[in-house]
Amino acid sequence: MIRNPLRDPRDRRLPRVPEPCALVVFGITGDLARKKLLPAVYDLANRGLLPTNFALLGFARREWDDAAFAELARDAARKAARTPWREEVWERLAGGVHFVHGSFDDDNAFDALAERLHELEGSSGIGGNAAFYLSIPPGQFPVVLKQMQRTGMADSTPERWRRVVVEKPFGTDLPSSRELNALVDSVFTPEDVFRIDHYLGKETVQNLLALRFANTLFEPVWNGHHVDSVQITMAEDVGIGTRAAFYERTGAARDVLQNHLLQLLALTAMEEPVNFSAEEIRTEKLKVLRAISLPADLSASAVRGQYEQGWLAGQRVPGYRQEEGVAPDSRTETFAAVRFGVETRRWAGVPFYLRAGKRLPRRVTEIALVFERAPHLPFSDTDTEELGNNQLVIRVQPDEGVTLKFGSKVPGSVMEVRDVSMDFLYGEQFTESSPEAYERLLLDVLLGDATLFPRNSEVEASWAVIDPLEAFWAGSTPHPYRAGEWGPRAADEMLAAEGRRWRRP
Amino acid sequence: MAAAVTTLWDTNGTAVVKELAAQRRTGGAVLSGVALTLVVVADESRVEEAEEAAAHAAEMHPCRLLVVVRRQLDSPAPRLDAEVTIGGRLGPGEAVVMRMYGRLGLHAESVVLPLLAADAPVVAWWHAPPPERLATDALAVIADRRITDSSMGPDPVAALRTRAADYAPGDTDLAWTRSTPWRAALTSTVDSVAGRRGEAVRLLGGVVEGDPRRASARLLAGWLSARCDCAVDVVDSDRAAGPGGVDTVVLRLDRDEEVRVRADRRAGALITQPHRPDATVALPDRPLGDLLGEELRRLDPDEPYSEALAAATGVTGLAGRPAVREHEWFDPFQREDA
Repeated sequence: MIRNPLRDPRDRRLPRVPEPCALVVFGITGDLARKKLLPAVYDLANRGLLPTNFALLGFARREWDDAAFAELARDAARKAARTPWREEVWERLAGGVHFVHGSFDDDNAFDALAERLHELEGSSGIGGNAAFYLSIPPGQFPVVLKQMQRTGMADSTPERWRRVVVEKPFGTDLPSSRELNALVDSVFTPEDVFRIDHYLGKETVQNLLALRFANTLFEPVWNGHHVDSVQITMAEDVGIGTRAAFYERTGAARDVLQNHLLQLLALTAMEEPVNFSAEEIRTEKLKVLRAISLPADLSASAVRGQYEQGWLAGQRVPGYRQEEGVAPDSRTETFAAVRFGVETRRWAGVPFYLRAGKRLPRRVTEIALVFERAPHLPFSDTDTEELGNNQLVIRVQPDEGVTLKFGSKVPGSVMEVRDVSMDFLYGEQFTESSPEAYERLLLDVLLGDATLFPRNSEVEASWAVIDPLEAFWAGSTPHPYRAGEWGPRAADEMLAAEGRRWRRP
Repeated sequence: MAAAVTTLWDTNGTAVVKELAAQRRTGGAVLSGVALTLVVVADESRVEEAEEAAAHAAEMHPCRLLVVVRRQLDSPAPRLDAEVTIGGRLGPGEAVVMRMYGRLGLHAESVVLPLLAADAPVVAWWHAPPPERLATDALAVIADRRITDSSMGPDPVAALRTRAADYAPGDTDLAWTRSTPWRAALTSTVDSVAGRRGEAVRLLGGVVEGDPRRASARLLAGWLSARCDCAVDVVDSDRAAGPGGVDTVVLRLDRDEEVRVRADRRAGALITQPHRPDATVALPDRPLGDLLGEELRRLDPDEPYSEALAAATGVTGLAGRPAVREHEWFDPFQREDA
């Protein structure tokens, strides 16, 4: 930011507000745009975090004019806004809402878009700055990017910035992600590419860094001397909904393991960054991702499953193969559990168990550090029968918070030790004021702060971990599990073979 | 969770502590993670308003809420009535409303001290005319941060001078909090000028048009003078100023440029700057609870406030003062007794 005498680093009340700019959304009629992006834009405006000169441009095939689009955007924003609805805020925003219709292969439409953007530079005072949000299937990336290149929309100059926001999936394996990265980077410079992993926009994930690096209490035990194993769980109670076509090709490992879970692993296992800058944090994460190892015998340490018909939350739900749009003999996994190692001095010998699944009993994402048992207990065996491993659990969602589980004496005249947990809860009450991940990430894009966005080398390193798994699983049939259970029996056996068991989140 | 409310009539501090502990035992998990204790000093007439604001702020900042209402200081028999609630109308956390009668009001800290959350910061907020010297209220002495509201009294400008004379690091004022949206709008406008030029901007001067009798307008002008090292005055505006007392701010920049931010009376402001079309930003009047919530975000000394206060009142050396106050005994009846 260029020097402004009113800015004072000690003045923490003043919000970070982006420079005047435009946000151009491709695929504005899609689910994500309606349910997340538009509400996030409104919430940012309502919190006074959008620049004074701001324009929102939607691009899609529908034949709308600005007014019709503004109406749709208003409804979408109103329906899902987190902050209270204030009509005057929206009216102000609506003044800068524009729509360009056309298909992605239509040169005229893109010329019209480029021209519109150029007009807005003067009339809306956006100063040429623009972020392009590709809320479209990756198959359409090449054509859109080529169009942007052709019209010169993607070029950052010293006078203006142009950024692009890409949603997952970032490819389907290492070669395809390399291809995609090469394509995006050839049109935009790598610093101008923002890959959204919305998990990184969550408060608890950022708090993980604070917990680890702002305290003295945890870091001394945050290593293989004290940690027995790490369990990272991402459970969803929902099925695949209307995403059958996408999910059939993708499966749980590519859908969430490759990005969300590996990012959580990287943040849990990384070394302390030299400072809290985008570059340094990404450097440390990349080191961890590159240090991930798979066991030699994958059959004993990688399990995939597929849900069958069952009961969940008091309702009968169909099996995966019975979902609409799914092949009756589908071999796509809806559950994946893997044991990774992290080959560093800090983590040598500590297994990292990752699991992700759909139609599990409840929606929960958490990171659990399971500590070693005490090497010696001065109590008799019967005193400590109920004592388990100490655990430190970071709950990412829902009920964001941290739990510490340790043994405590049961009140009474005999010595009995039992596990109790101590809870720090961001709390239902407080989450109300904590911004939605998309809000935070969108703001960071407009500010040009890349701290919470994975770099393409991270994406590639993650695929390098997933690809051998996919190769191993290819052609095999997933283990069935009932909807409403914690995954297939084989996943439990995988841990039992090593004398451990999954935590029930 | 159902709210638990217990009212204790004519009680004492020990009973209140016991009742709070009893409710904690039955209350469950809502109580974990208390970040601070908020002590609210309120007049009987403003208790409801203060409670509502504090409950709102408590949703953003988990805290234990202690409301102290001093009544009938001249009543011959000291008496304490207390209401202990958890997870009810006073927000998600623990709250105790205490009404103190008679000379107990001069010793409120004797009830409050054992109720403070262990080793958590203490914030005191006067939703009432604060004492001229905060040190005469023992609650100010135990608090790490003290929040007053200069805009409450009949003469806000005199109140600001009083606050400047009495200032110690850790003091803050809601009149200052009210200026934050204005300061944000001005800062981002200057950001946008700097962005357009591609180089630094210098402020040569400016003027705040509004109501010179309002504390927020004075502090805003004070802040601008402190930041640009030049005098910025508050002058009467041609129309009645809004609730904060600010109607328009004009900043003179180098290169003969000028920016102007003018309230549009629809919870927004119109921004005029060279080489750019006019734009509007949100500039809402925030409810008391939001203001309090902003204050609770940070508990370290607010240097920009002390500089703005110094510039607005002409009192110097604020930042160098010791952060700790020592209690000064003050008895409002002593003079009459003598």
